[in-house]
Amino acid sequence: MKTKLGFILSVLLFGALAYGQLPEPGPARSVQVPAVKEATLKNGLRVAVVERKAVPSVSVSLVVNAGSDKEDAKKAGLARLTASLLTKGTKTRTATEIAEQSEFNASSIFGSAQWHTAGVGMGVLTSGFDTGMEIFADVVRNPSFPQSEIDLLKTQSLAGLKSSLSQPSSLANYASSVYSFREHPVGGTPASVQAISRADVEAFYQTHYRPAGAVLIFVGDITLQKAVTESEKYFGTWTNAGKTTEYSSGGWAQTSSGPSVMPVFSRFLVIDLPESGQASVNYFKRVYAGGRKTKDYYTATVLNSLLGGGYSSRLNQEIRIKRGLSYGAGSNFAWRNGPPTFTVSTQTKDVSAAEVAELIVAELKRLGDTTAAISEFDPRKAVLTGSFGRSLETNGGIASAIANLYSLGVSTSELNSYMGSVDGVSNASVRDYAKKYFIAGDIVIVGDYAKFKDDLAKRFPNTKIDVVKASELDIESPTLRKGDVQ
Amino acid sequence: MRNSIFALFACLLLSAASFGQIKVQPIDLKERTLYNGLRIVTVQDNSNPTVSIHVWYDVGGKNDPPGRSGFAHMFEHMMFKATKHMPDEKFDRLTEDVGGFNNASTWPDFTNYYEVVPSNHLERLLWAEADRMVNLNVDDKSFASERDVVKEEYRQGVLAPPYGKLFWLMDDKTFEKHPYRRGVIGNLDELGAATRADAEAFYKTFYRPDNAVLIVVGDFEKKQADAWIDKYFGSIAKPSGSIPRVTEVEPAWTQERRYNEFGPRVPFPAIAIVYQAPKTTNPDIPAIRLAESILSGGASSRLYQSLVREQQIAQQANLDLELNAEGGRMSFVGIGSEKGTSENLEKAWLAELEKIQKDGVTDKELQKAKNGYIAGSIRFRETNDGKAILIERAVAYNGDPNAVNRELDTIQAVTPADIKRVMNQYFKPNNRVVINYSQAAAKAEEVAQ
Repeated sequence: MKTKLGFILSVLLFGALAYGQLPEPGPARSVQVPAVKEATLKNGLRVAVVERKAVPSVSVSLVVNAGSDKEDAKKAGLARLTASLLTKGTKTRTATEIAEQSEFNASSIFGSAQWHTAGVGMGVLTSGFDTGMEIFADVVRNPSFPQSEIDLLKTQSLAGLKSSLSQPSSLANYASSVYSFREHPVGGTPASVQAISRADVEAFYQTHYRPAGAVLIFVGDITLQKAVTESEKYFGTWTNAGKTTEYSSGGWAQTSSGPSVMPVFSRFLVIDLPESGQASVNYFKRVYAGGRKTKDYYTATVLNSLLGGGYSSRLNQEIRIKRGLSYGAGSNFAWRNGPPTFTVSTQTKDVSAAEVAELIVAELKRLGDTTAAISEFDPRKAVLTGSFGRSLETNGGIASAIANLYSLGVSTSELNSYMGSVDGVSNASVRDYAKKYFIAGDIVIVGDYAKFKDDLAKRFPNTKIDVVKASELDIESPTLRKGDVQ
Repeated sequence: MRNSIFALFACLLLSAASFGQIKVQPIDLKERTLYNGLRIVTVQDNSNPTVSIHVWYDVGGKNDPPGRSGFAHMFEHMMFKATKHMPDEKFDRLTEDVGGFNNASTWPDFTNYYEVVPSNHLERLLWAEADRMVNLNVDDKSFASERDVVKEEYRQGVLAPPYGKLFWLMDDKTFEKHPYRRGVIGNLDELGAATRADAEAFYKTFYRPDNAVLIVVGDFEKKQADAWIDKYFGSIAKPSGSIPRVTEVEPAWTQERRYNEFGPRVPFPAIAIVYQAPKTTNPDIPAIRLAESILSGGASSRLYQSLVREQQIAQQANLDLELNAEGGRMSFVGIGSEKGTSENLEKAWLAELEKIQKDGVTDKELQKAKNGYIAGSIRFRETNDGKAILIERAVAYNGDPNAVNRELDTIQAVTPADIKRVMNQYFKPNNRVVINYSQAAAKAEEVAQ
């Protein structure tokens, strides 16, 4: 056997495999989707439980309607700061005592905020469950928001922002919030973080941290009965009667998606970052399709798997595997109750930035122009269902899947219907979705402009390229230029 | 790492111990060796319908050929290209396309290839892993393209992040003689110089059954899995000739070395103070791991409390362990803040070091560190892949998969006196390399002064 180019080692050195033919797979075993048991306390707090005995540990999560969409854009970062401050002091414990006691108990507790909801999470061994729950309830119900802790967290947030804004990919992400998605960044901006006061934190907590609408999730070595008893014990008297807040879209939502003859992108922005090390090349688009609760979610999810989710998706095939232009290229939908945001992102050497932008545009266009062959399409669904099945192998994975459903107002029964819903998406519906929604988006490149300027002009000859210097960037301005206001 | 984020500097905690009333179940592993020298470890666990397959090779960054820094890692990428029986990227068809995943990573001491698939696909993956162990067949075009991918991986890990270069320097500026000094990712010039002929020679030298361990954990019947393993791996001939090993020995560091280094976008000054660590088989390793946890594991740790909270001179302050089979490094890494400078970060670290060297640690601090280890170990054992990783690390760092079930005792046996002793023994002024890292513009000012 002769090969033209390869290295012919095996036969000579070690002898060939005795069996050259790839064996067939055996019969498949089905994935066990865990049963979610639910109950509601008198104060409106819902309790969701998945009983699993395999490992002597429990994952506990609280989800409350206290996400970034509830904050004023001028105080962007407030929801996240409030969530982080829960573990920084209660009426009876200092921040250091909370850290010491929970870490001694091997049950670190963290507060965090997403767009719609905030959450507190804890992983704890069965033997440390009671101690863990006592601290968990204390940080949720009795936070004291010490001024010194607020000052420290603000300083840390501002330092973190400074670091993020010096890196091409995270700078592009920050820019996308206001420039493309017309919403404030979850982490805030230097000015908005600076503007947050203790009174803001206190008021945000009083208004949004309340049992009605919240859910407490237990996964692992615990029964429903025990979970309800514990919830009653620690949260039965929780009665914060804050106002109910309506969902807000962030204030910038448009409704029209425009005619479908529009090109894939309408704006082309370069953020010039000299000595960037590598360029970040992105496509950003607010997609005015249905949100998480609609059927569009499944169409978009399968579309994403085909285009940019996982190693063998089209973007990674074209940019990395075929051309060696990047370590990885991908896409992602961020889910909302309303229209989701869509991002394509990759990093490449500065001189290749224009070529990569061209490839991204071509793939977005191809998605809407042609229908994927079933031989390509079906494996991309398997990527989703396989990864879903694996995420259900750990207590933490199940808890996070359930928390995601609650945070977007979706029934936990979707855990059971997920695989069928993915399988039900047709290749034609994916094509139509791309054609309808991937129009008039934004191409954003962050990199050393001098290194790709000429190539960009050559590859995008009739395109207006908007160039902003990174040093002059204002991430609070809708045009990213200082002086422009929202 | 073939895909996902650059994680060559990651440190893995290896542990198993008892916590309160909870006894961590030993991993019920079965071990055997084929005639051709391939070692096999299997763990049958039918609770989930998946299986994790790891092929661990005893070749890592330290085995890069001369003038070819980063080669072992680049070669890892080539192992996903064509073989005699498979086209390029066939592993993705066998894993991703059926709902599984695959990846690989290169460490200073070893390289691992792994996949998790629905368990009815186990036989196919055993066939494919056996095939690429002996039948790799990369062409020039795929080689060149994948070499470019690795150069992008270098840019993404070293050049683009503000502190990427500092972590790169922690290898380059510290080891004096041992090839660990080259770092796993290498450098752009030497990556660019690599040829397909180099790959052929490297494959011939290191990729052979007697330089590998196959670890299979998950949903199978042991008898059936053994039969498949015998069928596909057993047919590989016993190789002849010996495998070259690293012979350079890192001399004891006897004099402090200091460097001032600069990057183009450094938001705050940073410092790395690097000490020479013993080999992973050294009995002091468990005490060093627990000391690391006491100093920088979590918000109650000493460095976080002092440098981040009280003095507010650091965004991050950690003891970063890279413990290697032939001796690694233990580095204080402080990333500054508005109030942080290389000088006050160094001073603060030295004060904390002196405190632990003089006064030791409390029983409670040590118990907290042990508890954290045990909980981490239990979480690792939740998945088939987690168990396979623990076994693989035991092979890499203790030369014995069964070491995974002995970790319990070594961690539990550590006393406050052990912590005090190792902190005094290994963290000395003449055993350290200090790297100050800051914004490049400062360089011009320094010259002007």
